[in-house]
Amino acid sequence: MKRFLRRLLAVFGLAPASAVASQAQLVAESRKGSLTWKNRAGEAMARVKALEAEVKRQTHLNDKLRTSTQKLRLRHDEIEKLLRERLVEAEHALIVAREQLMVIDAKLDILEGAANVLDARTRTAISKQRNETVAPI
Amino acid sequence: MRERGPRFPNNATKPLPQSDPVSSQPAWIADTPLLSIVLTGRNDGYGGDFAARFFRTLQFNHEQLTSRGLAHEFVFIEWAPPADRPLLFDEIGRELPNLNRRVCAWYIVHPEYQIALSLNPRLEYLEFLAKNVGVRRARGQYVLTSNCDVYLGRCVLDALERRALEPRVLYRAPRHDLNLPEDLHEVTWEMLEDPRNLAGPAHVLKRPYMGSGTGDFVLLERASFHEIRGFNEVYRVARIGIDRNVIVKALASGFEIRDIGGPVYHQNHEGSYRLNPKAYEGRETEAPWGDRRWHSSGVSYVNPPTWGLANAPIRAVAEHCYYVDFSWDAVPPLVDLRGILVPAARAGLPAPGQYVRKR
Repeated sequence: MKRFLRRLLAVFGLAPASAVASQAQLVAESRKGSLTWKNRAGEAMARVKALEAEVKRQTHLNDKLRTSTQKLRLRHDEIEKLLRERLVEAEHALIVAREQLMVIDAKLDILEGAANVLDARTRTAISKQRNETVAPI
Repeated sequence: MRERGPRFPNNATKPLPQSDPVSSQPAWIADTPLLSIVLTGRNDGYGGDFAARFFRTLQFNHEQLTSRGLAHEFVFIEWAPPADRPLLFDEIGRELPNLNRRVCAWYIVHPEYQIALSLNPRLEYLEFLAKNVGVRRARGQYVLTSNCDVYLGRCVLDALERRALEPRVLYRAPRHDLNLPEDLHEVTWEMLEDPRNLAGPAHVLKRPYMGSGTGDFVLLERASFHEIRGFNEVYRVARIGIDRNVIVKALASGFEIRDIGGPVYHQNHEGSYRLNPKAYEGRETEAPWGDRRWHSSGVSYVNPPTWGLANAPIRAVAEHCYYVDFSWDAVPPLVDLRGILVPAARAGLPAPGQYVRKR
């Protein structure tokens, strides 16, 4: 009987109050869920926007760093080239210094030899002179 | 013992005609042989029986050059001969009576030069100053400075025969040290070339200096030798290394150093530096050849224009024999510091030797 009455009411677009109330609660819940999802979508969109901005910033930063790295690499090459040149110059200076040292050393040998020879000659001359001076008359 | 001094009094000989002032080549000698071999020595028994070794070598080299028809002369400098022993010049006449004196130019140098020139009393023999006396007066188109116990090898003779020598090229030959019997009378190619007679591994000349036994073989065109003014006469503190130093001078003068292609042979004997180069290790300044650590491969030199005792009075004392009288005019200054310099920078010139601290 109850089922018949419900069908009859349904023909006229009517429903029992309890059913209407439950349906109304479902709608309310759905609406609430939809709002939550809408909020979440909004948040996600905001997050996407933020991430896009972050990507843009990171890309920019990356470009900047790449330029900077390139500059540093160029500078590094320049410094390396400069150091290499300096090394060649230093090596050359060392060779020149070494050559000069060798020349000075050889000259010192000559001076030392000459001093010894002159010393010996002077001693011989002086003793000869003395012997002549003190020779008995 | 006789006193040291000239063996030929001034009034005993006739003076020589005036020398050519530019080349100092005596005007009384006209021929120009292909090769002058400049040797020096004295009758002091160096290394055992020096005279016997010398005469044997002289005869062998003379025979080889003659058999190939190579015009040559031996310029021998009897440097500061001891007064108490006969001259080598007299001995050679007795020992090699068949040697044609015309292939020899014999110069006997007054002993006073050894004393006046020495910057190191321990040096008993200023070998390269003596050789310069010969180089200065050599007449050959090419001048070879060598030693009295060095036999020329076949490659050397071949190069001379082919007339393959060039000016401004200093030729070097490696020295093969041989163990030969002391009482040897005659030397043959078989003896020289038998590898079993080698005293050690055969030396190979290494660029750039091609050193090792340099004093045994320095061959240069006469004009080129004059251009570099002979061996170093400024550094008279050591005898050792002066031969190597001439290579530095040649390189700095733009000359090429070239291996002639084959060895010369040297008979080992007592007292040879080669046999005991470290005999004076730790007391190098006492060595009779001077301090071997001096920078012979790092410095160059400029000899005075009077190198080779150019201003020394010379007189003939016998046929092809001349006496170099003592004169202070011929003696270069005791100290000539401007004569020692850094080798000229030339492309391909080797870096100087390592600086060795001595003091």
